[in-house]
Amino acid sequence: MSAPISTPASGPAREVTRYVAIAGNPNCGKSTIFNALTGLRQKVGNYPGVTVEKKTGRFFGSHGEPMELLDLPGSYSLQVRSPDEAVARDVLLGRQPGVSWPDVIICVVDASNLERNLYLVAQMLELHIPVVVALNMVDVAEQNGVVIDLMALREKLGVPVIPMVATKGVGFIELRQAVSRSPLPPPSICAQMPIVLEREVMALAKTLPVAPEVARGEALLLLTLHDKALDEVTHHNRAIIDATKTAQQRLRTAGIDPISAPVDARYEWIGTVCAAAHHAGDSHHALSISDRLDGWLTHRVWGWVAFVGMMALMFFCIFTVAQYPMDWIDNGVAWLADWTKAHVPEGDLQSLLADGIIGGVGGVIIFLPQILILFFFLGILEDTGYMARAAFIMDRLMSKVGLHGKSFVPLLSSFACAIPGIMATRTIENRKDRLVTILVAPLMSCSARLPVYVVMIALMLPAASALQQAGIMLSMYLVGLVAAFAMAWVFKKSLLRGDTPMLLLEMPPYRMPSWHGVLLRMWERGLLFLRRAGTVILALSILLWALLTYPKPAEVDATPSQALAHSVGGRLGHTIEPVIAPLGYDWKIGIGIVASFAAREVFVSTMGQVYNIEDADETSEPLREQMRAEKRPDGTPIFTPLVCLGLMVFYVLAMQCISTVAIVRRETNSWRWPLFQIAYMTVLAWLGAFVVYQGGRLLGFQ
Amino acid sequence: MNPLLDQLAVVALILAALGYFAVRMLRKGKSGKSCGGCGSGATSDRRFRSK
Repeated sequence: MSAPISTPASGPAREVTRYVAIAGNPNCGKSTIFNALTGLRQKVGNYPGVTVEKKTGRFFGSHGEPMELLDLPGSYSLQVRSPDEAVARDVLLGRQPGVSWPDVIICVVDASNLERNLYLVAQMLELHIPVVVALNMVDVAEQNGVVIDLMALREKLGVPVIPMVATKGVGFIELRQAVSRSPLPPPSICAQMPIVLEREVMALAKTLPVAPEVARGEALLLLTLHDKALDEVTHHNRAIIDATKTAQQRLRTAGIDPISAPVDARYEWIGTVCAAAHHAGDSHHALSISDRLDGWLTHRVWGWVAFVGMMALMFFCIFTVAQYPMDWIDNGVAWLADWTKAHVPEGDLQSLLADGIIGGVGGVIIFLPQILILFFFLGILEDTGYMARAAFIMDRLMSKVGLHGKSFVPLLSSFACAIPGIMATRTIENRKDRLVTILVAPLMSCSARLPVYVVMIALMLPAASALQQAGIMLSMYLVGLVAAFAMAWVFKKSLLRGDTPMLLLEMPPYRMPSWHGVLLRMWERGLLFLRRAGTVILALSILLWALLTYPKPAEVDATPSQALAHSVGGRLGHTIEPVIAPLGYDWKIGIGIVASFAAREVFVSTMGQVYNIEDADETSEPLREQMRAEKRPDGTPIFTPLVCLGLMVFYVLAMQCISTVAIVRRETNSWRWPLFQIAYMTVLAWLGAFVVYQGGRLLGFQ
Repeated sequence: MNPLLDQLAVVALILAALGYFAVRMLRKGKSGKSCGGCGSGATSDRRFRSK
């Protein structure tokens, strides 16, 4: 257990001296400590459930010895309720294959919520793994008037306790020293269980095929499971399950409830610890500020006003502030295309470089400023703690359609990208609720839809003000939200029928956002966006150009339109034209829809290539003008306001993202659900665009 | 430019793009998927699945 650790007989030599796991309640600062120790940039946020999978990194102890650090998802207890909590339990009990049993646990405790956090500490102390308690947020505790007697706490817990303010870098030297201490003995103090229970625990522990160190903890966990949960246990054989049930029966006969007795014992022990070390002061001042803010932000009416107002402000900034840098990028791309045309001799290579690569990649890169602004606002909302309030006001609506309140954070994350949103569903305990959330999460408007909206809004209302444009974009986000709620209601009433559990959500305290963290996240997202533009979008642009160029028509004097119709892409567009004609789309739009199946933003660059112009982006006049001037055979314009609105609705509702399909396949462990999702979303998108176009025409709109 | 050279350069770029996707697919198969847009990765841990 203590460092340095000998090399396992069957494995390669260990490069690290210790494996250290960071565990603790949700939103107590585990990932902040992990980032500070390892220098990594694991996502942090001021709401529960940011980390849903384990993350590893390397750090050095106070003597320079290398150690591996494992950041575990937050958990209130080892009696797990959701898949993310199961990760922490399984790592700590050595159940997870391929992950070493930790030599030390850094148990992060929120000092401002000491009593509640100590429950997990009590369970950690029962595991026979050395524990170091990182008493984080002592500054918040002080502000709330809480006084913690460190000496008494250390004495009562019997393990090192390090006071910390992780966000300000306070306490890390002491934490490193504590983790590096050698030898680091396992805990000697823990909650005393009733003797009869302890006897049964030890008897059951002896029969378990696990390491002796974890046998007691494992036995205790088994004894506290309900019958139904015991029947679902897969990591032990039937004989052990039967032995557990028999032991539970004996305990009940002896007048001890095996499920509640350990909980009571731990809370009794926590009571004695808190009586000695925790003195709650006058927290009236801090509570009143938080309550006053919550009074507004979670109000039945004002809460919604604040929510919609914040979203509107975000989109307004996206349209106004981003315009200048977008113009610079636009001019830069146009200059590069001109320069290429001037220096590369006329031919296919010139067309590929200028129209395909520069037009295609430039058409996507131009949205970088808008993406950065989007993530700036999302970062602030996450850091301040507003997300939990938004989840609270949304729960009133979500519970009516049968969505679990915990679905809100995954749905909100999906506004940035559906991938982290779908992964965040791991915080949802019930499988059916989780599946419903996974099925509707891609209906949230992700950042990849932004380019399509911007192009269509500019075409639809060329003279609209930034406020009007922001209003239309906000309504598209609301369409996605309403569609998600409606589909969730349908699924809960049909395929995934079940009760909706009550929402129990911890409200984190309001905090000033960490500007460094917000800017860092913007920077990272910007880099990822550029990397994607320079790799996937670049390769797709080249292939799209080839599909739209070859085979060439036999006639030498064929017009560009005839050449396009003759290409593979053109033929594909013509093939699907009968299906999309009722939506008001022609075969050229069809090419864009097919090409953007892999990634939505490819629609813009495809349109640029299809219309065979130099600048394949939405703000350049030539593309906008060319799209506006595009006519049907009868001479009427193609991109009427109804078609543009229909296209936006289509992109709100359609799947069109291969990465999301892959992640749904992984999370559901089946192809059934992603295929069903593609089918229902495609039908929904078609119906939505059909209703907008045909309904609008019936009402006399164009 | 020589038309042959022109066509060769175009073919080389198209093959490079195809090669990129082939390598990407092979790599993902080995080390778990990640989203190109947001960088999020998914673990291949069975425990997360269909629980």
